Amino acid sequence: MKLDNIIAERINKTIYRDGNKCIKVFDESYSKADVLNEALNHARVEETGLNIPELSEVTRINGKWAIVSQFIEGENLADLIAADPAKYDEYLNMFVDLQLEIQSKRSPLLSQLKDKMNRKIDLTDLDETTKYDLHTRLTSAPDHSKLCHGDYNTSNIIITPDGTPYVLDWAHATQGNASADAARTYLLFCLSGNIAGADKYLDLFCQKSGTAKKYVQSWMPIVAASQSVKKNCKEKEILLRWVNVVDYE
Amino acid sequence: MKKKAYEIVDSVKQLEKAISRVKEAQRRFSQFSQEQVDRIFLAAATAANKARIPLAKLAVEETGMGIVEDKVIKNHYASEYIYNTYRDTKTCGVIAEDKAYGTKKIAEPIGVIAAVIPTTNPTSTAIFKALIALKTRNGIIISPHPRAKQSTIAAAKVVLEAAVAAGAPEDIIAWIDVPSLEMTNLVMAEADIILATGGPGMVKAAYSSGKPALGVGAGNTPAIIDETADVVLAVNSIIHSKTFDNGMICASEQSTIVHKNIYDKVKHEFAARGCHFLTAEEKEKVGKTILINGALNAKIVGQSACKIAELAGVKVPEGTKILIGETDSTDLSEEFAHEKLSPVLAMYKAKDIQDAFSKAEQLIADGGYGHTSSIYLDVKTQQDKLEEFQSRMKTCRILVNTPSSQGGIGDIYNFRLTPSLTLGCGSWGGNSVSENVGVKHLLNIKTVAERRENMLWFRAPQKVYLKRGCLPVALDELKTVMDKKRAFVVTDQFLYENGFAKPIIDKLDEMGIASAAFFDVAPDPTLACAKAGAEQMRAFKPDTIIALGGGSAMDAAKIMWVLYEHPDADFMDMAMRFMDIRKRVYTFPKMGEKAYFIAIPTSAGTGSEVTPFAVITDEKSGVKYPLADYELLPNMAIVDPDLQMTAPKGLTSASGIDAVTHALEAYASMMATDYTDGLALRALKIIFEYLPRAYDNGEKDPEAREKMANAATMAGMAFANAFLGVSHSLAHKLGAYHHIPHGIANALVIEDVLRFNAAEVPAKMGTFPQYAHPHTLARYAEVADYLGLGGKTDKQKLENLIKAIRELRHKIGIKDTIADYGISEKDFLATLDEMTENAFDDQCTGANPRYPLMSELKQIYLNAYYGKTFTEKEYPKEV
Repeated sequence: MKLDNIIAERINKTIYRDGNKCIKVFDESYSKADVLNEALNHARVEETGLNIPELSEVTRINGKWAIVSQFIEGENLADLIAADPAKYDEYLNMFVDLQLEIQSKRSPLLSQLKDKMNRKIDLTDLDETTKYDLHTRLTSAPDHSKLCHGDYNTSNIIITPDGTPYVLDWAHATQGNASADAARTYLLFCLSGNIAGADKYLDLFCQKSGTAKKYVQSWMPIVAASQSVKKNCKEKEILLRWVNVVDYE
Repeated sequence: MKKKAYEIVDSVKQLEKAISRVKEAQRRFSQFSQEQVDRIFLAAATAANKARIPLAKLAVEETGMGIVEDKVIKNHYASEYIYNTYRDTKTCGVIAEDKAYGTKKIAEPIGVIAAVIPTTNPTSTAIFKALIALKTRNGIIISPHPRAKQSTIAAAKVVLEAAVAAGAPEDIIAWIDVPSLEMTNLVMAEADIILATGGPGMVKAAYSSGKPALGVGAGNTPAIIDETADVVLAVNSIIHSKTFDNGMICASEQSTIVHKNIYDKVKHEFAARGCHFLTAEEKEKVGKTILINGALNAKIVGQSACKIAELAGVKVPEGTKILIGETDSTDLSEEFAHEKLSPVLAMYKAKDIQDAFSKAEQLIADGGYGHTSSIYLDVKTQQDKLEEFQSRMKTCRILVNTPSSQGGIGDIYNFRLTPSLTLGCGSWGGNSVSENVGVKHLLNIKTVAERRENMLWFRAPQKVYLKRGCLPVALDELKTVMDKKRAFVVTDQFLYENGFAKPIIDKLDEMGIASAAFFDVAPDPTLACAKAGAEQMRAFKPDTIIALGGGSAMDAAKIMWVLYEHPDADFMDMAMRFMDIRKRVYTFPKMGEKAYFIAIPTSAGTGSEVTPFAVITDEKSGVKYPLADYELLPNMAIVDPDLQMTAPKGLTSASGIDAVTHALEAYASMMATDYTDGLALRALKIIFEYLPRAYDNGEKDPEAREKMANAATMAGMAFANAFLGVSHSLAHKLGAYHHIPHGIANALVIEDVLRFNAAEVPAKMGTFPQYAHPHTLARYAEVADYLGLGGKTDKQKLENLIKAIRELRHKIGIKDTIADYGISEKDFLATLDEMTENAFDDQCTGANPRYPLMSELKQIYLNAYYGKTFTEKEYPKEV
């Protein structure tokens, strides 16, 4: 495998293209378990029959762990939207439909979303009282088992020249509540500064899925808390604002 | 005073220890007497009351929410009102007893209560729950909210220490010092019941713990101000309530919906009393401040209006009481339409009261299902509006002209609304209770019910006249006593054409009573026949109905009577089977308002002249409707043997044997009484002696005819009160399916029924408190003794009785088997299963002393067809 064509660089990992292969190479600091878990998640989701790149190999390259998968030729949805804002509504429509298709799948061996969120809440810097309220809120949510991407945003979708959408990056996939996944997508829109887009997305998601907005909103303090674990200073104010709410008593 | 040291509960391990200490303490507490408990309750309430100010200060200091002075009221209320309400309530041991009915109610504690306490009322709710736990001899483990743990624990300590000083077991109250969800869940899992007051998450956790839980729901109280309201009272009540503890009572008004005719006046009054109406721009800012992603901003809960305005960047005068946002949207996208837990209020203008109701309904649906709604109107003149309001609001508390915070918790602004700090919201709010929670929810009530026998009765026509030649004398009363004007005679064609009705009509003519007659009654009378008769009655408008004939004519006349008095009566409803005639679902229409009913039998057997029964057949569907109700009891029976002298042999034997089975079944019935027993035995004695004579000699033996006339009516009175049994159930269906005359059908099964009922180990006995054990064999033996049939053992006596019946049957020309009556085996077997099931479901089955299995009834039918004898299945015998 040739590692000379870098197509993306992220903190802790670099992504290369070699012909029809995509190679994600993780830094030494990356936990082996996390790499293997990401590969396993990916493999499980592949079994649902969704359009996702085929995983071909988990290997070590120069002592670093790497995941090798199919390279999908096409354009990323975020770029497509940026290039043609007039088609925003059409793309958003496709974006929500695709998310609903994902959520219609089941993958019983994936981790539980609620377990993951509980862990994340514990990892936050929030005070104990707020954590108590968040845990309580999370515990009271119903137990669902829908496939959730966990980082569903436009940059994780590739549209091939024939128009077929592929969804990438299943590192955060879980099974759980679709509304939590939608709340997370809403948060990602907001964090990118696109508030109007976020609201439009949420309305469309609720309308298409027949979900009460109130129910998606009930997940927002939780997804905000989980995001705060990343300790991004720029996000801190908005996340705290989202987290610091109460229910009736 | 020396401070007691408590073990700190800050881990699951410590909590487990604490739970077992409370459980042990509660075990001891459960043995306490009412006097001991009341002493403890008084001491605990007194201590909490005394600590109301320091606890209020602590709560505000710790949580940073609410107002000290108002929390003092809450603490005061939680101790004084709760004590006052329950001071004399019995909660220990026997709390009610009804010696006549033989019932007792015994109150037992539930065990250990898990109490989840909210941040909004951290001390008052703790006092409330601890006090009702003590009053009910329960232990309690308090799970405070981490934001209010010190104040909640302080309140719990005050109550515990006073209770222990007054004699309560140590450790009867415990708490979690360092709350975590894990520990709260453990307490809920370990407790016997959960009192969950807190956010929806906590309530859901309680409900999913698997333990019984009393939870509460969200409130979003709308307050309607009708145009008839006292505006000054309404506005000031709302301000008083909404500002109470900075709006943290869950029943507090979240919006007010004002009739357009008084809108300006209301607005002016709010403004004049220190409330601030937000401009559109200010409202936008406040809206975005109070709500984040549809949830309440924690920073504004329980804060003053000024503080919230400041957070929103809005300037308001110091001392502003409430921030009011005017809006017309009740949609959840409107921030002001939500519950706000702060002195922020939405105000709507309603174009009329219907619009106000619709808005209130929507606001309740938005987030206050089951909680509280309120209305201000003139109750003297506007009851219609109030009725519509109370029927439309899906809330468990509906308050009228009352500040809802202080009103919803009960007993301050109203009477008999249970004082409580845990307000149930019913199934609408996802709760198990819809009331204000109180001591009754923390008790297990045992009901002790001693066996009691049902009331029985004896009912017969008001007048029963008898003796040869009594007919004209009895009819005399129609004129002399009752002043009747119009009489309608119902009979059959044979009797009419042979002059049986003539003496009646002559007598009526003589008395100047107008008469008409219906003489088209056929055997097994039909609904069509009854309708035709009733039609004539409606035209003739009689004040007296005279039924003359056998069972068919009397039954048809009874039905005509019903249709005449109640043309819309439904036969399906009237014929509905009952287990207990006094508990039947259907209330039979009142009879006798138009016509007096006289029954005159012309044969000796049916008894219909003294019974509350009638059978009618729907000729279209073939369905027989057996009606039974004392409303159908004739008012007068005239038993004049002169009318029975010429009855043919076949009729004499069939009706005579029918009377035998009436008496035998009434005697064996579970509902038999000393009254019916006397009649049944005497009737049997007469029949055994005189039926063969009446059969053989006919009109040549007037004595036998007279005796039989009386015996049949006496047997009728017996079964009119004790009812019948499976012989009649079987005979009814045999008659319906194979057209065997009713009396004969009974004669064909009665011997086997006697054996069947006499079983000492029946598969199932009948269900009736009077029927203590299977004793029908002894009852039949009594009959045999009375008839002088001899026999040493009850079994021999039964056999002798059966033999006597068989001999009687032979004497009067009744054959032995169903087959003997020309029913083909093929036809019989083809209908057998259906007949069996219908016989099982016959109304007569209910009083039978042995509850039959369908297979057993089928066997009796088969025996009666082939001439076999009922034998009991083997049953286990242990000595």
